[in-house]
Amino acid sequence: MQRSKYVAILVLAVVVVGLLAAQYSLNNPTEATEALTAGSQIDAPTDPNNETASPGSEVEPASSEVAIPVPPQLGAAPPLTGIDGWLQTDATSLDSFSGQVTIVQFWTYSCPNCKATIPHLQDIYARHRPQGLEIVGVHAPEFDYERNPDNVAAAAAELRVTWPIALDTNKTSFGAWQKDRRFWPRTYVLDQNGDIRFDHIGEGNYDELAATVDYLIENGP
Amino acid sequence: MTQLIAEGFQSALLPCSLILLVPGLAVALTARAAFIPATASFAVGALALSWARFSDRGGGFHPIILAIAFALAAIILLVPLRARLDVLAVIAGLLTGAASAELWRPCVGAEFGQLLNELPSRGYSGLALMMVYLTCILAPLAGLAAIHHLIPEWMLDRAEPAWAVIGGVVLAVLAFSTAIGLHEDFVSRLYLWSGGV
Repeated sequence: MQRSKYVAILVLAVVVVGLLAAQYSLNNPTEATEALTAGSQIDAPTDPNNETASPGSEVEPASSEVAIPVPPQLGAAPPLTGIDGWLQTDATSLDSFSGQVTIVQFWTYSCPNCKATIPHLQDIYARHRPQGLEIVGVHAPEFDYERNPDNVAAAAAELRVTWPIALDTNKTSFGAWQKDRRFWPRTYVLDQNGDIRFDHIGEGNYDELAATVDYLIENGP
Repeated sequence: MTQLIAEGFQSALLPCSLILLVPGLAVALTARAAFIPATASFAVGALALSWARFSDRGGGFHPIILAIAFALAAIILLVPLRARLDVLAVIAGLLTGAASAELWRPCVGAEFGQLLNELPSRGYSGLALMMVYLTCILAPLAGLAAIHHLIPEWMLDRAEPAWAVIGGVVLAVLAFSTAIGLHEDFVSRLYLWSGGV
């Protein structure tokens, strides 16, 4: 057999093994994520408007060991434009949350990386909702089947997303906020004045996210 | 690095990456005997433009230009210039790779996210890491190129004309749907037809 055939077989083997391992890991999230998810199922408030629910009071802040300087000023947050509906809230614009620390996350429900952030957001929401934290999930669908509001609502229920969802079906705000660098998920923290104080692409950086929220809630903008 | 590789392979299985894999496969099929050069140049084009875009160094092409790139790739590969097929495949691969990267909106994990957050301030080490990640996303194309290399020539001679037509049609549909802003719908349909949801 030609040497190049051996190389082709080797490449094929590496690809098959890599993809099988990736499929396995997608089907079996890490223990840490599972533990956090399990915790969130206990801690997450079922009614975000229920002020008596303060499950966060029993939770040790995840960011207690992270020393964060004053969160940087990253400019004023643009308005949410082109939103064609809201779920799980009476709000009609981002202005409805002015004066509150607000996490704005661009996501879409079938993106696994977006789903992986949800337990962490649930954890932060459970701890800081009583102090006025709000989360706005801006649902920017990539594919046709993600555009149906009923599908979004069903996915939110399944994923235990209890915070307000803005439907950015035509991705107007997705483009306006992210310009040419557009990703799922992308997470921002807005201070009480509506300025962006945290901007992160993708999963991860949860300690800094939590510390930013902690700082803004304790110290103001 | 291991985590970045793992995330790359995971992304290869996600619908977010179909906008890279579908045009990559289409151009490779249309290139017939030049399957491997077309695949390799597609990867280079995709890497160059995705790095430029994500590090704020370039990109931002109008959809009409991207549509022209897809259409041009189909046209130059389907014209009967078999003697120059390798060269044409490289040009078509580069065009299609760059156009696909412009349309790519990635789903981002922790490691790739960290890289993207640092990419604008990172020098060419960012490009090297992007290459690692993109190579893993495009691994299915590498696997298909390996299979193509293992198929006996007499079988390829029979199959390749049909493959070229299929690939050319996909590139043409991509060109049209990109021009009218519906390329995501097209990829979405492919995903649904493949039993993805």
